[in-house]
Amino acid sequence: MISRILTAAATLWRDRRRWLLPGVTTLVALAVTGTGWWAATDGPLAGLRQGKPTTWHDTGAAKRVHTSTGDWSAAPDPTRVRIPEIGVDSPLDPLGLDAKGALEVPTNYDHAGWYADGTPPGEQGPAVIVGHVDSQSAPAVFHRLYQLVPGDLIEVARGDRWVRFRVVSAQWYPKAQFPTALVYGPTPDAQLRLITCGGQFDPASRSYLDNLVVFAVES
Amino acid sequence: MSVTTSRRLAAVALTALAVSIVDAAPVAAAAAAADNGYVRLAHLSPDTPRVDVYLSSPTGAIGEQRFNGVGYGDVSGYNRLPTGSYAVAMRAAGASPTTDPVITTQVTVAAGRAYTVAGVGRFADLGLRIIEDDLALPPGGKAKVRIIQASVRAPVLGVSTAAGQSIATDVAFATTTPYRVVEPGLWTVNLQPAGGGKPSTLRANCRSGNVYSLIVVDAPDGRLKAELRPDATREGGIPVGGVDTGGGGTAARDGAAPGGKPVAPASSMLAGALLALGLAGVVVATRLRRPRRS
Repeated sequence: MISRILTAAATLWRDRRRWLLPGVTTLVALAVTGTGWWAATDGPLAGLRQGKPTTWHDTGAAKRVHTSTGDWSAAPDPTRVRIPEIGVDSPLDPLGLDAKGALEVPTNYDHAGWYADGTPPGEQGPAVIVGHVDSQSAPAVFHRLYQLVPGDLIEVARGDRWVRFRVVSAQWYPKAQFPTALVYGPTPDAQLRLITCGGQFDPASRSYLDNLVVFAVES
Repeated sequence: MSVTTSRRLAAVALTALAVSIVDAAPVAAAAAAADNGYVRLAHLSPDTPRVDVYLSSPTGAIGEQRFNGVGYGDVSGYNRLPTGSYAVAMRAAGASPTTDPVITTQVTVAAGRAYTVAGVGRFADLGLRIIEDDLALPPGGKAKVRIIQASVRAPVLGVSTAAGQSIATDVAFATTTPYRVVEPGLWTVNLQPAGGGKPSTLRANCRSGNVYSLIVVDAPDGRLKAELRPDATREGGIPVGGVDTGGGGTAARDGAAPGGKPVAPASSMLAGALLALGLAGVVVATRLRRPRRS
């Protein structure tokens, strides 16, 4: 009996070139599928398991050290944002904080807005631009924000010049655990955050449960 | 036979493709998420002449950077750098890049961290010190300040507000204090040499949510010179909570996300493709055996 098992094992091993590569590949694929299934069924936090959010990244401009570009402190307020990769070309409405201290949102679903009490885009600090993902009936200005990937270009008009940013990362956060210090904290260079909504829609509060934050740095 | 060979090749090609996708996926993800940190350079050695500072990467992550004619009291802006190790070297201003540096050091840049690499001490015992800068948001709407003490004329000094509140005591030459949380506002700051001597004052505007280094150097006029340097800045109040940017019009009937929210389906699709490729490889490999049997 034992010798038959050994013989079978020897045969299997002799023929390993037939099955080893496809077999291992299949096992790996099954493992990856299992992981994907687990992540997909892990509720609203699934996206957050993709890695810890980080503030600063290489933007792919290899071999080049970035310090600061122009001095934008004397430039007019920002008026427009362009994101060619996802077809955004929108006016920028000025936003402040509401009575509860929360960031206001644009009243026009087709307009993005910038936090006008905060850092102006291009100056040292985290400039903030927000836009709706949808209205009650249709996609809105930042509906495709989730499609941005590291390296994508974001341009903000100040006067007749454009401040250029490059995406470094995009992260989903439950609104109940919004990473305030990471998004609004001070920075050593000119950065930009684009914010919109997503995740589950809660009909009771008429609000999505998550925020998508795209982090970018001036480039 | 040629049919068998081509089938064998097909099987190998399929499995190789599948394996290469498995191999490539994590690499691409790592490259996309490649993190950055920040380094700035400072000359804080009172009797060291001007230097050229070189910043280079042993791995070629950046081309060599050179900062010419850096003098006592000079502090560069932050350089955004991919994480990794970098070499910092100082040569006398104008010296050939091929000559031996006066001094060198290595700085390892971690993701999201910031460092000040400073030439400190007297020229006779010049050292390059790596100071980690804590740029995190100060709590409770306050500001953060630390002292970088580069005055040899006042080798030990105290820093306090005009109102008498102490910010730091007994700060020795060539040392740096930890960051201290302070009330934001326009302060008159006194610098008092420990052994007596003339105090110096400066007006320091510490803004809410900002992080500063107060750099103290010897001024040519025999006094102390202090500069409040913003390490990390921001403006305006800190918004509370998340942002309400959706009306729900594109939410699916079950309330699911408009576009993109779950990252998992994309990886599931990739896994599905891999599974299909792997199975195809097995099928082809299995069929290879039929001619031999018959």
